[in-house]
Amino acid sequence: MNDMSKDKNIDIQIYNFAYLDENTKRMIRRALLKALCIPGYQVPFSSREMPMPYGWGTGGIQVTSACLIPKDVLKVIDQGADDTTNAVSIRKFFQKTANVAVTEKTSDASLIQTRHRIPETKLKEQQILVYQVPIPEPLRFLEPRETETRKMHALSEYGLMFVKLYEDIAKHGHIETAYAYPVKTNGNYVTDPSPIPKFDNPKMNNNPAIQLFGAGREQRIYAIPPYTNVKSLDFEDYPFEAMKANFKCSICGSSDSYLDEIIVSDDGKRSYICSDTDYCKEQTQLNSKEEDQ
Amino acid sequence: MENNYHFSEESINSSISFRSLVNATSYPGRHFQITKLKKPNILSNAAATILITLCDNESNVYLSKDFSTDEVKDWLIFNTGAIVSDKQNANFAVGDWESLLPLDEFKTGVPEYPERSATLIIEESNYKKIKCNINGPGIKDKLQIELPNPELFINNSHLYPLGLDFYFTNDLDILSIPRSTKISVTNSEY
Ligand SMILES: [Zn+2]
Repeated sequence: MNDMSKDKNIDIQIYNFAYLDENTKRMIRRALLKALCIPGYQVPFSSREMPMPYGWGTGGIQVTSACLIPKDVLKVIDQGADDTTNAVSIRKFFQKTANVAVTEKTSDASLIQTRHRIPETKLKEQQILVYQVPIPEPLRFLEPRETETRKMHALSEYGLMFVKLYEDIAKHGHIETAYAYPVKTNGNYVTDPSPIPKFDNPKMNNNPAIQLFGAGREQRIYAIPPYTNVKSLDFEDYPFEAMKANFKCSICGSSDSYLDEIIVSDDGKRSYICSDTDYCKEQTQLNSKEEDQ
Repeated sequence: MENNYHFSEESINSSISFRSLVNATSYPGRHFQITKLKKPNILSNAAATILITLCDNESNVYLSKDFSTDEVKDWLIFNTGAIVSDKQNANFAVGDWESLLPLDEFKTGVPEYPERSATLIIEESNYKKIKCNINGPGIKDKLQIELPNPELFINNSHLYPLGLDFYFTNDLDILSIPRSTKISVTNSEY
């Protein structure tokens, strides 16, 4: 553990709540508040070594660590599921280092850390959604130099981004980007929503909850405050569409949640199930209640 | 790890304080409460909480007139290691409204780094309050609040994404007006 100190009289160890030391938290906390004041702008911060490798959500973990309070109820999801290795290990980490309660229910959680999905269940005021972000800079694939992308954001020079999207339309008849589909936050900064499916993009707009983003390797924090305008980039003649597979979940029957395709038999038969496992359980319970009546 | 571990009181307290600041900053124009702490008399609990939660030895803090006492300086330096500074270099500033004016000496950030700007902590005092409507990020539809010299807040919001971020503090109460908040005056006589 970090920064262990021993109490002289009793043989107990005193730990920092939620792992990170106070100095690190202060630095992250200042960045988080400025991020909330400037929606969609990427605030640099000095990422700390965490006891898991990059790619395991170290940015999100540091944001969660800085925000967590003892009475929080924590939910962690990876691609919508609470029981994947990544989600389980992060949840265990905070049970151990902050002794917080955990849940799989979106509606019971006060803080949700996520990789690649926004829960289907509507979020509420003062709930916090922490996104794990691999590449926070939406312009990076157009311009590798940080000094240049910073200038582009400063001048709202987003023409290249639109050119790239339009090339998609010219080539494929529609915009190909299906994940990490760029948005404009509060009418100002073009922002990377993290690799969520574009199906989730509309949920970011005018959401009552607090959305925080942490990129560990790239050392960036950004935020979308509640009730903030978040618009997926599009064109007048090609408006944004949050498409999903035109199937029903084979477990709960939902036709309006985001579905994962799975292969169900040796001969390659396919089926579709909700990516959000908590939502799927809830819908299944609702269905059985209706049958009982 | 077994269950016989204890968390430092400092880390528990700072987490709870910070969460109030997250909520206040996320929902501008609404009142949030922080808890009491040991601090100099002249500082409100809310202002002291902001300083102690956010400042460290990289923070420049401007203390205006009445707040620039040895007691406040000693408390601040002992608890945070912050540097007492002038207005121009301040990351944080504490004072009553009149004593913080004019605002244009504070840093508002630069286009590439808009976050390099001052955060102003305004302690409750007898300034003249004007009814305003506010809207923008964090505000569902709109809210009505009272602000001193609304024209200064309107000017500040015109600098967006640059600008100053404000916290109004009164005893245990805190209310934020970040640069992203848009202000209009409702009182026609103003
Ligand atoms: Zn389902």
